[in-house]
Amino acid sequence: MKCVTLFRQDDHCWQMFGQDPDKPDNVIDTNQYLIRSGDSAILLDPGGMEVFPAMLAALTREIPVSNIKALFLSHQDPDIGSSLPLWRRVCESDVKIYLSWLWAGFTAHFDREATFTTIPDEGMEISLSHDVRLRFVPAHYLHSSGNFNVYDPKAKVLFSGDIGAALVPKEKATGSAFVTDFASHVQYMDGFHRRWLASTRARDAWCAQVSKLDVQFLAPQHGLVFKGDDVKRFIDWFAGLEIGAGIAAMNR
Amino acid sequence: MTQLSTTIRPRTHRTDRIESRANGLLGDCRRAFHAFGGLDELAENLRILSLNAELAAGRAGEKGKAVRALTQYTRELVNRLAQIQGEMHSLRSRTFAFSSTILRSLMQLNLFERAGQLIDETSGAGGKPCDSARRAFADLMSVLVDTLDGMADAVNDLARRTHAVEEVVSQSDSIATNIAIEAAAAGVHEKEFRTVSDTMRTYVDDLRQMIDEASDAVRRASEKGEALRRIGLDALDELHRNS
Repeated sequence: MKCVTLFRQDDHCWQMFGQDPDKPDNVIDTNQYLIRSGDSAILLDPGGMEVFPAMLAALTREIPVSNIKALFLSHQDPDIGSSLPLWRRVCESDVKIYLSWLWAGFTAHFDREATFTTIPDEGMEISLSHDVRLRFVPAHYLHSSGNFNVYDPKAKVLFSGDIGAALVPKEKATGSAFVTDFASHVQYMDGFHRRWLASTRARDAWCAQVSKLDVQFLAPQHGLVFKGDDVKRFIDWFAGLEIGAGIAAMNR
Repeated sequence: MTQLSTTIRPRTHRTDRIESRANGLLGDCRRAFHAFGGLDELAENLRILSLNAELAAGRAGEKGKAVRALTQYTRELVNRLAQIQGEMHSLRSRTFAFSSTILRSLMQLNLFERAGQLIDETSGAGGKPCDSARRAFADLMSVLVDTLDGMADAVNDLARRTHAVEEVVSQSDSIATNIAIEAAAAGVHEKEFRTVSDTMRTYVDDLRQMIDEASDAVRRASEKGEALRRIGLDALDELHRNS
């Protein structure tokens, strides 16, 4: 599994884990993100059970697992958090698990002994360390009805969950973790956004909200990371996209 | 930007071995319960037969007195079967709960074993050993061994219930024989009593077949459960020695 550092300043660091070459083909590729500051770390969307072994091995090359103070689940999908009971076994017993209030009872099906710190619809802010604060930004209905992004104003990174996700075919992968040619990247995210995301009202609200943030890296849970000008290109593209394609199947 | 890559994902062996044996154990338990799947219906048929036999005994008057007493014994056996059946239902729930824990633990063990192998491989290349992963593996193995203990107890309970059904069969067989003897001296009622006796024999044969199928599965489950427990304990010993 690859580990790519998106941002580093002193002991404050964002790392992306993904593009596992040994992952079975039928398991969708996912990106897991680690934010570190000092001896504290939070793991964003720790992933499904299938990626756990490779993810734990890759993560322990970077930090002792005891440094993970919190886990964040953007929503309830199995590729986001079915590894939760495994992470809880290796993390300290007081590890916090952040999740939308909407999904606590559902996600307990992955791990009935987990205690969640639930995030209200408006979002919330947490301190990772004395000088790094993280904001859980609402992204409801995109695609999940209880859905959050994570914004780090100091690193200017937005973890966007399924927004910005792309399904890049294995043979088309360049090895880079970043979008290098936005126009040609559109084909890999177009179908995903049209079909998985449904609410134009939610999309418009999200675009307006995120446009106010200073974002240098937009980091999705699948596919490649947008950086610099490509962040704005993505928001503009998304703002004009016709989404909710599945509805057509109901109107026949 | 730093970019690191882990090596090819290896296959695991220790948990694979436990998993294949556990699957065999769970399969035998399922077969044993399946063998007793028709017990409800058989007990009900036996109950109806005893009622009909009692009516026939009443019609036979003095000549049916002994048969009437035998049908009362049969009713007691039916009650005993109903009790065993209830115990089997709760035992089945317990066994399937153990199965679920075993399968979940095995899946998690497999993932931790794979993680451990990857960590060991990369620790030579500058990675750090992960004690918490080893501890998690050992904890899970403890849970598995405890659950296998519980499963072994459940299999023993199942063996006891099977034995209890065997006793019912043996007593039913005796009752059927005695009704046949009474039939020989029942004159015009002989045919009716002989039908009761023959039908009861059919049910006894069905019960015997259930027991044969279940006993075989229970014996195999018991052997596999014990072997699995030993493998789990050995694995735990090995983990403690290496910790």
